[in-house]
Amino acid sequence: MTTTLIKSSKEKKRFKRIQDQFTKSMFLLSAMISSLMILVIILFIAQRGLTPFMPDYKYGTQDLFKFLFGMVWRQDQAIYGVGFIVINTLISGFAALILAFPIAVLTALFSVKIAPKKVGTLLETTIEILASIPSVVYGVFAVGSIVPMIQTIAQGFGIQTAGGSSMLAVILLLAIMILPTITSISITAIKAVDEDLEKASLALGATTTQTNFKIVLSAAKSGIFAGAILGLGRAFGEATAVSMVAGNKMFGPTLDFFDITRTMTSTMLAGLKETIGLDYDIRFSVGLVLMVVILVSNLSINLLKQRIGKQHA
Amino acid sequence: MEKAFSIKNLDLYYGENQALKNINLDIMRYEVTAFIGPSGCGKSTLLRCLNRMNDLIPNVKINGEIHFDEMEVVNNKIDVVDLRTRVGMVFQKPNPFPMSIYENIVYGLRCQGIKNKQTLDKVCEQSLKRAALWDEVKDRLKDSAYALSGGQQQRLCIARAIAMEPEVILMDEPTSALDPIATAKIEELIQDLKKDYTIIIVTHSMQQAARISDKTAFFLMGEVIEFDQTGQLFHIPKDKRTEDYITGRFG
Repeated sequence: MTTTLIKSSKEKKRFKRIQDQFTKSMFLLSAMISSLMILVIILFIAQRGLTPFMPDYKYGTQDLFKFLFGMVWRQDQAIYGVGFIVINTLISGFAALILAFPIAVLTALFSVKIAPKKVGTLLETTIEILASIPSVVYGVFAVGSIVPMIQTIAQGFGIQTAGGSSMLAVILLLAIMILPTITSISITAIKAVDEDLEKASLALGATTTQTNFKIVLSAAKSGIFAGAILGLGRAFGEATAVSMVAGNKMFGPTLDFFDITRTMTSTMLAGLKETIGLDYDIRFSVGLVLMVVILVSNLSINLLKQRIGKQHA
Repeated sequence: MEKAFSIKNLDLYYGENQALKNINLDIMRYEVTAFIGPSGCGKSTLLRCLNRMNDLIPNVKINGEIHFDEMEVVNNKIDVVDLRTRVGMVFQKPNPFPMSIYENIVYGLRCQGIKNKQTLDKVCEQSLKRAALWDEVKDRLKDSAYALSGGQQQRLCIARAIAMEPEVILMDEPTSALDPIATAKIEELIQDLKKDYTIIIVTHSMQQAARISDKTAFFLMGEVIEFDQTGQLFHIPKDKRTEDYITGRFG
């Protein structure tokens, strides 16, 4: 009796070990698949994007320096300079972030900590819906409302615009688009703040407002910055909606908010289906630059986060 | 001796559920008063009434009176911020803020609008010394409070409360998350602090209550069964239920 008991338990142990091994390998496999996908995409883009600069490029080798720092983009003359486009993209992306970030954080704080529970839940649901609206819908909205509004305002100042398509339109559109992303992630971060910290703050005679700003926001800082990074990524990466209102200027950089602009994504997208040769391949080069820009921006936001962190912790 | 708190006919309800029943207690200044009793007996609930932390819980209804000097604590018209600067609190789990040691200590002062660096520095040093933590942290005040051990973090929380120069310090099972050595240090500190502060401590450990308190209140099912000098209550309990509890027959 005892021996069978021991035996069966041994078999059980072996089964458990195999089960454990199996689960572990499944996790490993999933992780490998996702990282492999990223690697494949990067390699593919890099390979296509770098060919125009190779000596044996069949449509005529491009000068990398002229491409990176060029201030003119004219398909008709085969002049491809991405420098001003990078600057335009950075300006519109960061401007959108600066507009959206404070609103998003305050909205998140309000919906979690200040609003009555029902209002907070309603707000959260709305924000989640906003975050899941496809970008083309935002684009149509921008074309139908933001663009004419900007045209009217510009006319009020006596400024001539390209029918309202402008950098300002891009910035406003992007701010609206990244607002739900940042808000939604900030909400999650604020909810995760340990209640004990708030209690400690209140027990020290801090008001609710002081507690919210000094304790809750600083404890949720990491998550909120993650939201900002994702928001900025979306702002840089948004193509469809931006293309609908940017106007695609051929030279730059654009520094006047009412002037038309050209971003990296709108450049990649515009006429993609109707083109071949160098004009097609060069879009991969722009994509490569875009990836680098996003990476560098994320790193700099992370540095900023650590800086702010040092003041407190 | 002067009363710190005078609690009269206090009833407290969480929704329909009565958590405190007709509590009458006088808590004296410059004494350590311990609240003991099994889980759910209402001892922490009463403690939280004293600095109005129960405000954070929805659906709480309180009847009765708690007098603290000229203040009637239960009254909704009092300035809660003022009350809480006079009645500090230390929690069960050490809960330092995600900031430097220094910023943790001066947080309460900053919230009161005190900006003078010299004042803040002075209070920081005094409070840390008073909480017997100064020697361990004086060279790393700018380091994160999370770098401290659990026991050090709890003494930091006590120092943080002391920095507000309160009259009373409420302690809600302050050593239940600590090891025996850290616990001994906190107990020693409490003994030392009672010269200047009134201390009310909720504890699960009867030995702790016996070691450090002057008076002990035994709670059961929302009622104060017995409230007496600690020596008296532990050696010659008047109530059978107190005797059963302290001899370990239940709880």
